[in-house]
Amino acid sequence: MELGLIAIGAGLAIGLAALASGLAQSRIGSAAMGAVAEKPELTGRAILLMAIPETLVVLGFAVAAMIILLLG
Amino acid sequence: MLAKMAKVRLVGPRGRLDLVLEELHKLELVQLADVKGEPYRVSPLPEDDRRLARASEVRFLVAELEALLDLLGPDAHPGRGDLVPGEVDVSYVRSRLAEVEPAVEGLRGRIEHLEDEKIVLPRYLEPLENLLPLVPELADLEDHELDRLRLDTVALVLNTTDLSVVETLRRELAEVLGSRFELVSEEIEDGAIGCVLVFSHDDTAAVHELLGQEHVRHATLPEGYERLSLSGTVAAMEGRLEELPAEISAAKEELDALLRPHEEEWRTLLAGLRAELEQLEAADLLGGTRRAFVAAFWVPKRDLPRLREELKARVGAEVVVEEMPVDRYDGTMPVLMNNPKPVRPFEGLVRFLDLPRPGTLDPTGLMSLFLPIIFGAMVGDVVYGLLLLGVALWMKRRFTGPGMLKDLGSVLLVGSVWSIIFGFVFGEALGNLGYDLLGFDWALWFYRPDGLVPLLVFALALGATHVVLGLLLGIWQGWRERHRGEVAEKVGTLIALAGVFGLAGLVAGMMPSGAVTPAVAAVVVGLVLMMAAHGGGMGLLMGPLELIGALGNVLSYLRIAAVGLASAYLAIVANEFAAVAPLWIGIVIAAFFHALNLALAGFSPMIQAMRLHYVEFFGKFYEGGGRPFTPFGARAAGPPAEARDAREDAVEAEPREGREVAPI
Repeated sequence: MELGLIAIGAGLAIGLAALASGLAQSRIGSAAMGAVAEKPELTGRAILLMAIPETLVVLGFAVAAMIILLLG
Repeated sequence: MLAKMAKVRLVGPRGRLDLVLEELHKLELVQLADVKGEPYRVSPLPEDDRRLARASEVRFLVAELEALLDLLGPDAHPGRGDLVPGEVDVSYVRSRLAEVEPAVEGLRGRIEHLEDEKIVLPRYLEPLENLLPLVPELADLEDHELDRLRLDTVALVLNTTDLSVVETLRRELAEVLGSRFELVSEEIEDGAIGCVLVFSHDDTAAVHELLGQEHVRHATLPEGYERLSLSGTVAAMEGRLEELPAEISAAKEELDALLRPHEEEWRTLLAGLRAELEQLEAADLLGGTRRAFVAAFWVPKRDLPRLREELKARVGAEVVVEEMPVDRYDGTMPVLMNNPKPVRPFEGLVRFLDLPRPGTLDPTGLMSLFLPIIFGAMVGDVVYGLLLLGVALWMKRRFTGPGMLKDLGSVLLVGSVWSIIFGFVFGEALGNLGYDLLGFDWALWFYRPDGLVPLLVFALALGATHVVLGLLLGIWQGWRERHRGEVAEKVGTLIALAGVFGLAGLVAGMMPSGAVTPAVAAVVVGLVLMMAAHGGGMGLLMGPLELIGALGNVLSYLRIAAVGLASAYLAIVANEFAAVAPLWIGIVIAAFFHALNLALAGFSPMIQAMRLHYVEFFGKFYEGGGRPFTPFGARAAGPPAEARDAREDAVEAEPREGREVAPI
């Protein structure tokens, strides 16, 4: 397969995952900041909730790495 | 680890109650518990009118002093007095307060009035400024000049952009006044139309009646601006707005000058009164009769012998200290973290999530081991590590008092050392600069940009170790708490994970083909155990989900590779820029990118390492919900753990017996 297409595929794998993660984090983040403003002791949990969607990007990274390693 | 707590019952003669509370307050060793919640039945202490009256008076004075001292800003050195209840002469405090309160109230009222004026004037000014150009000739006429012309004016602000409203108003005015009026209008701001109505003085009543029928609200100008012309009002308001900041700061300075001479005395009195109030209010938690009192409290078990000795020496042997049986999972037990000093900075990171529930594991020690390793594996650069070490040492010197910043400095210090170690492991110094300058690959293991596969394997191996450790701790905790279902679920997850790792090894060619059957069997057995642990139809769904979750947890550690690789490539990009551009521009650009990368390296890996602990590791065993141990009479301000550090620092700073002390 052409190297360019492989690179585009890998880029899409991580890029789309990052986009989805960002969308999820934007919603969680605004709600979490509202909660922290009311109860500062929830800061730790807010970070935890914010960090959960990041797994999507990590999985995207794993898929991108697999595309490059197996096809590249 | 969590300090072992003892529940203690104290019984003594009622006459010694004040002395006991005073000494407990000074000792700062115990946290009082409500004796009414204890399994033994004790009546509340009979009401003591003298004590109630004193508490009410002291509470009032504390509130008064706090309100006055608040006006001077926060106290840089909050402290606590050690006064015997009743020692502060409240009538003296009242008389001292009465001397200054009238002047303080007057000044506060003036400041409040001036600040209100500063807020309100622009609200009048803005529409008036917008109306000025509508009737420039009339705007300069004062009220008495308009009276002489037998004219009257009304300025209106309509909160609409619909010009037909103005036309309707014009039509209705024409019906009443005929042609004896002039109405001009213009859109003055977003969503509002300004109108000025000029009419004969004889028609004033009719106009106001009409406007009243149309529900037009009449707003009067603030005092002092009523009889001026429109332009005169605007000029006067603008002038006043310019004067106000100086007047406000002058009044504040006057208030400060009035209060400042009393500050030291008031802070001392407040500290003494607060201590007395704490002791007076503590009596509500006690029980007893007219002749005896009973108190219950928590004390760290290691401090119990000292408490017995101190009470015996200070109060006498009539007061009996009894240790009561304790359920180690008692939810009312306060939690005190008790870790070795090098590990303590990590306690704040655990508390950031929640305090562990009594009787459960305190993961601070493990966090102090794994978090810097994960952080270092992500940064993995000798020069960045050295720079972060410098930042950490600066933080340690700059923030000496107990607090989050000092702790973060200590955490960063250990993390930066691991960054340097991993820098040598990956052979990176400012990305590929070290590699290029030395001319050979000096990595102890592999250079990250060239070793994607080993990097991924390393991240996954670290993740598998961490997650498996979490599962083992979860099994141990479940076993201790006799939670069979939890143990079965965690054991099942562990077995299924082992099977999945075996299958992955087979695919990678690292395991013999004969391992297929045991690996598949492990996955099946693990899944069945997990399903059985959840029980019923839900188990069929939850078992596989748990396994997918555990696998996701391990895969989540790939972020170590992702963040690390991103950091390494950003450093390489910085070096490439330096090579392409002319020398000095290249150095500036490279310095900028390296600074950016360093800032990211200090922040992002720390957040990611924390997240891996909170979600992937703690999720397997950690149980939060503990209440912090807050000693009765805690001298140092701040959260209990910081107060503990401050107390210990103070004890260390005290001169020991026999040591020469410089004369004061």
